[in-house]
Amino acid sequence: MTQVKRKTSIAIAAIFLATLAWQQLGPRSPARWTELDLMVLQRLSLDSLPPLPTDPTNAVADDPRAARLGHQFFFDTRLSANGAVSCATCHQPERRFTDGLAKGRGIGLSGRNTRSIVGTAYSPWLYWDGRRDSQWAQALSPVEDPAEHGANRMQFVRFIANDPDYRSQYEVIFGPLPDFSDRTRFPDAAAPIANSEVSAAWLGMTDEDRKSVNRTYANIGKAIAAYERLIMPGPSRFDVYVRALLSGNGKTAQGILTKDEILGLQLFINEARCTECHNGPLLTNNEFHNTGILSFPGELPDRGRIDGIKKVLSDPFNCLGDYSDDPEKRCAELTYVRTGVELIGASRTPSLRNLGGTAPYSHKGQNETIAGLLDLYNRAPLAMIGHNEAEQKLNLSRRELKQLEAFLNALDAPLATSEEWLSAP
Amino acid sequence: MLNKTATTSLILFAFLSNPLAEENAAGESWLTRSGYYRVSYTSLLDPLTINTIHDWVFHIENSDGVTVNGAVVSVSGGMPQHNHGLPTIPRMTRSLGNGDYVLEGMRFHMNGYWELNVTVDVGGRRDTVIINLTI
Repeated sequence: MTQVKRKTSIAIAAIFLATLAWQQLGPRSPARWTELDLMVLQRLSLDSLPPLPTDPTNAVADDPRAARLGHQFFFDTRLSANGAVSCATCHQPERRFTDGLAKGRGIGLSGRNTRSIVGTAYSPWLYWDGRRDSQWAQALSPVEDPAEHGANRMQFVRFIANDPDYRSQYEVIFGPLPDFSDRTRFPDAAAPIANSEVSAAWLGMTDEDRKSVNRTYANIGKAIAAYERLIMPGPSRFDVYVRALLSGNGKTAQGILTKDEILGLQLFINEARCTECHNGPLLTNNEFHNTGILSFPGELPDRGRIDGIKKVLSDPFNCLGDYSDDPEKRCAELTYVRTGVELIGASRTPSLRNLGGTAPYSHKGQNETIAGLLDLYNRAPLAMIGHNEAEQKLNLSRRELKQLEAFLNALDAPLATSEEWLSAP
Repeated sequence: MLNKTATTSLILFAFLSNPLAEENAAGESWLTRSGYYRVSYTSLLDPLTINTIHDWVFHIENSDGVTVNGAVVSVSGGMPQHNHGLPTIPRMTRSLGNGDYVLEGMRFHMNGYWELNVTVDVGGRRDTVIINLTI
């Protein structure tokens, strides 16, 4: 009797182990896509990306001359305090306009991870905390950040005015530059920044002169934005796969994605719930969410969007400000912006296109690998500050996490931007 | 084995809970909690999709079907399953007459089930209703 019991127990254990092994290791053929799945996939596909939205705040947004000038500014290291930092120092084209570091490094160490500029023309908000509301307003900020370019706007506009090539290009696009030669009116260094000497010089200027500097400074940002609008993601294997699926001929879709990538895609749109935030063709809703990302070691948790809102509302270069070119000030995003405790510790959803080569991830580069980030979402830890919106554990198996990672890597693709824009002019 | 009623119920449930079935508000209206007003809306973004800011026009009638002018309409809401609100604070910006009111700043940033709390106030006579929609 005892022997029979033992044999039965061994048999049950063997069946259990075999089932477990089958679940984890056995072949799983991808299920057929339902009509509903196909609709979801179509919405995620780059083929569904709407035309580039106009930017009424930037009159030169689609002016090729402004894009050419912005391209030069973007790579020009002379526009920094030490002559060694340009926009491209952190936004490196070969790394999909990121820098491979946890936190950006210009003259000093920046406070957050460098976000890519790919596809940002579609976003109503810039930065992890959305503290700027246009590409051109964003482009102005690093210039005066002591950890980045470490310069000041007075120095910046005078440099443009004194460089014959830049001056002539600027004046063709924006009209005559103001005369900044009078040092009593326009000191060497002046800007409303933390440096007391530089900010005192700024406050010592007349209101009219400050506006004149600001207008020129804003125009420089608008030229950079005209360039940045050209930086767009290209179709990935995922997009090719969806196009083939939707063509109605299932055979043409075969072989484009591996079995694991397809299974990962199924998880992505279903159990893993990624599309709750990573939705639309750019795989981001460009909104702000607290997902329980741990704070950077040794630092207090980042307050994120709750502070970003205050900053964007008080930014003189925002959509409602004097330097916006929109005469009607149709600034719906800024006008109807929301605040609330749920935005404490919230960061802007990043696009998932081109994760390859853009590690580390998260707002302070806390996650070195995609696997590490997926593991965090699978465990759904309590937020260190505020409330983790993604508090429900995913309970995905290790195999499923690998499949999800495989799918995410299938979103990598060369940019849809011609080569001439992807290196210094 | 499932009987016919259960099968029919399941099919009906699957149909109603289709997460991508976009709400067609045409012809639909909701009576406010105390029965003071009947509320309907039209999204000026058609089809209604996520991640695009847009306007809605609310139409308000009283319980007898007479259009209500002089109302103040406000909207809040969110996704109860995700414990978050709307990504914007929409506001009524103007009345078009004939019981129609424009609310600007509507935006949804996730597909799924949303609840909107609509409050109608006419000279202090205030009533609310929850409108649900699935995007």
